[in-house]
Amino acid sequence: MPASNLSARKRNERISAYVFIVPAVALLIAFLVVPMVYTVYYSVFRYQVMRPDNITFVGLKNYLELFQDSDFWQSLRNTLYFTVVVVPTQTVLALALALLVSKRFRGVSVFRTMYFSPQLTSMVVISVLWIVLYNSNPNTGLINSLLVNLGMQPVNFLTNPKTAMNAIIFMSAWQGAGYQMMIFLAGLQGIPGEQYEAASIDGASRVQQFLYVTLPNLRGTIKYVIMITMIQAMKLFTQPYVMTQGGPENKTRTMVYYIYTQGFQKGNFGYACSVAAVFFVIVVTMSLIMQRITAED
Amino acid sequence: MKRLFTLALACLMALSLAACGGSSGGGADANQTADNGSDANETAVTYLNIWQPSDKESVENWWVEKLAEWNAAHPDIQVSRDAIDRSDSYAYDNKVATAVTSNSLPDILYVDGPQVSYYAANGITLPLTSYFPDTSDFVDSTVAECTYNGDLYAITATESSVALYYNIDYMKECGVDLDQLAAYTVDNPIKWSEFEALAAQCTTENYVGTHIVMDHGEGLPYALEPMYVSNGVDYISADGTTAQGYVNSPEAVETTAFLANLIAKGYANVDPITDEFLNGACATEIQGSWDVTVLEAADFEWGVTYYPVSDKTGTPVSPCGDWAAAITRNCSNPDAAGEFLQWLMSPENVASYSAAISKPASRLSAYDDPAMAAYKEYPLSVFQEELSNNASPRPRTPSYATFSTDYAEAMTNIFARAASNGEVDESYIQEQLDNVASKFEKDYNDYYA
Repeated sequence: MPASNLSARKRNERISAYVFIVPAVALLIAFLVVPMVYTVYYSVFRYQVMRPDNITFVGLKNYLELFQDSDFWQSLRNTLYFTVVVVPTQTVLALALALLVSKRFRGVSVFRTMYFSPQLTSMVVISVLWIVLYNSNPNTGLINSLLVNLGMQPVNFLTNPKTAMNAIIFMSAWQGAGYQMMIFLAGLQGIPGEQYEAASIDGASRVQQFLYVTLPNLRGTIKYVIMITMIQAMKLFTQPYVMTQGGPENKTRTMVYYIYTQGFQKGNFGYACSVAAVFFVIVVTMSLIMQRITAED
Repeated sequence: MKRLFTLALACLMALSLAACGGSSGGGADANQTADNGSDANETAVTYLNIWQPSDKESVENWWVEKLAEWNAAHPDIQVSRDAIDRSDSYAYDNKVATAVTSNSLPDILYVDGPQVSYYAANGITLPLTSYFPDTSDFVDSTVAECTYNGDLYAITATESSVALYYNIDYMKECGVDLDQLAAYTVDNPIKWSEFEALAAQCTTENYVGTHIVMDHGEGLPYALEPMYVSNGVDYISADGTTAQGYVNSPEAVETTAFLANLIAKGYANVDPITDEFLNGACATEIQGSWDVTVLEAADFEWGVTYYPVSDKTGTPVSPCGDWAAAITRNCSNPDAAGEFLQWLMSPENVASYSAAISKPASRLSAYDDPAMAAYKEYPLSVFQEELSNNASPRPRTPSYATFSTDYAEAMTNIFARAASNGEVDESYIQEQLDNVASKFEKDYNDYYA
C-alpha cells in the first residue's frame, strides 16, 4: 500500500475519532468544567440566591470567613471521620464477601444476588428503612427490640451524638459492600488457578495462600476499590439528609450537606461556592496522596 | 461510504444533543401568552402555571375540580397546577430557589406565611394590593402575615391553628380528670405545669405522655412559637430586624428548657414514629387542625383542648398562618393571574377549600357557607376560637429562611442532647440560641440592613 494512502487513512481515522469524542467532551465541558469554573468565579462574590441581579464582588472575604467558621471545620471533621472509618470497613467487608462467594457451590448465585441487591435499591429508600430499624422505641425499632430481648438497654442510634455517625457508617458499609464485592470477584477470577496449585504443592496453608497469592494478585483491584470508595465517601450526602438532617449536634453534617444548606436552604450561594472550591481542593489532594501511597514501586 | 456513515452518525448524535438542550427551556415557554393561529381576530390565550406543595387526596381532588371549572369558563386564561413534594423539610423551598436562579418561576407560587416577606423583599413576588384593595373580610392574622412594607404580597384561602389532642380512652386508664380537661376555655387554657403533669401521668412502658412536632423544616418554629410568645418574648423583634435579646433571651431559654425537659424525662420521643398519636403510641399531641380528619381513622376516642400557656404570664397564644398564593416576577400576565386569584379567593371557593384541607377559612364571610358548618362545632370550633382570639403570626422578616433553618437545627440539637443525657443543660440551650441569633444578625446585615 502506498505511503500516501496510509497517511490519508490514518488522518481520516483521526478525524473520525475526534468527531466521536466531541459529544462526550462537550457534555463534560458543559456539566463539569463550566460549573467548576463558575463555582470558583462565584466564590469571590456576595451572592444571595434570591437576588441574582444583586451580586457584589467581595474578593477573598468568603474564604476568610470560611476558615473561621466552626461549622465548616465540624463538617470537614465529620467527612474525614466517615471516610477514614468507612473505606477500610467497606473494603474488608467486600473482600470477605467476595472470597465467600468466589467458591463454586450450590446456590452461590443466590448469595451473590443477595449481597449485591442493596446496590440496586435507591439510597433514599434504604435510609428510610434503616430509620425504622434504628428507631429508639423497642416497640417499633427492630434493632432496639432485639437489644431489649437480649436484656440490654435501647440505644438512640440516630439521635445520640456518640452513635449517629457510626450508625450511618454501618448502614453505608452494608449498602456499598455489594458493589465492591463484584469488583473483587472479577479480580479473584482473574488469578490463575496454577498459582494456588503450586502454593498448595509447596505446603502453603489457606491463610498463606491468601497472603502470598490472593492479596498480591489483587493489589491493583484493592487500590481501585480504595480510591473509588474514598471518593464516594467524601461525597456523603443522602444518608445524613434523609436520616439525621446533619444532627444530632451537627455530628453527621458532612461537607456536601453543609454546601447544600448554605447554598439552597439559606441562599448564601457565594459562600457555598467558596466551601465547594475548598472542598474540591481537599478531595483532589487526598486522591493524589492516596495515589502516591498506593503507587507501584 | 464508511466515512459518510461515520459523519452521518456524528451529526445525528449532535442533533439529538441539541434537541435535548432545547427542551430544557420548555417550562419558561409554557408560561408565555400564546397567540393561537395567524388570524389577528382570534383570542390570545394566557397559560398560567401554579406551584404548590402537594397535599392530601381531598385537596388534590379539589384543585382538579376547580381548575376544570375555571378553564371551562375562561378559555382565554388556562390554568394548570404542579403539586410539588415538601417532604416535611425544605424540599419545596429548594425547588423555588433553583427556579429563581434559572429565572423559571411559575406564574403563581404558593409561599408559606412567614416566607412572604422573604420573597417580597427579594423582588420574587409582585404586590397584590391592586387586586385585593379591600381585605376587611380576611382575618387580621392573614392580612398581617401576607403584608410586607405596607403592600399585600400574597393571599390565602385558609389559616391554620394548633391545639392539644388527647386520647380519651387511654386517659381513663391513667385516671386523668377528663372533666378538668374539658373545662379549659380559650381564655383559660391548660398551663405548662398542668400539661407536664398530664404527660408525666400518662407516660408508661408503651406510651409517651406527649408528642412534639419533630419535622426538620418549618414545622418546629411554627408549632412552638406560641410557647415563646406566651412566655413573654417572640423569636424576633416586631420590626423583623434583630433576634438578639429575643430568641436567646432568658425567657426563650426558659421556654426551650421546658420543652427539652419533656424529652429528657421521657415524656416525649425525640424520634417519634409517623402518626404517633394515631398509632396509639402517645397520650397527647400538639398538632394542627388537619389532624381532625386524619384521626377519623383512630380506633380510640379522642378530644382537643386549647394550646398550653406559660404559668408565668397565663397569656393564651396560638399559631397561625398558611401557604398563600403570590404572583411571581416571571408571570407572563400578572393581570390574568390577579383575576384568577380574585376568583380563587371568593368566599365560596375559600369555604370549599377550607373544608377539603381541614383548616379554618381566612375569610369571615366564608363561615356562612354550609361547607364551614363544622367549624361552629367541637372539635374544629377549638381551632376557630383560637384563631379569632389569640392567633400570633410568625415574624415578618426577609431573613426568615435563615432563622427557620438555624432554629430547627438548634432545637434538634437541644432535644437530642436532652434525650441522650436525660437532663436539661441550660448553658447548652443558651449557646445554641445565641448561635441562632448571631446567624440571623449576620444574614440580615449582609443582605437586607
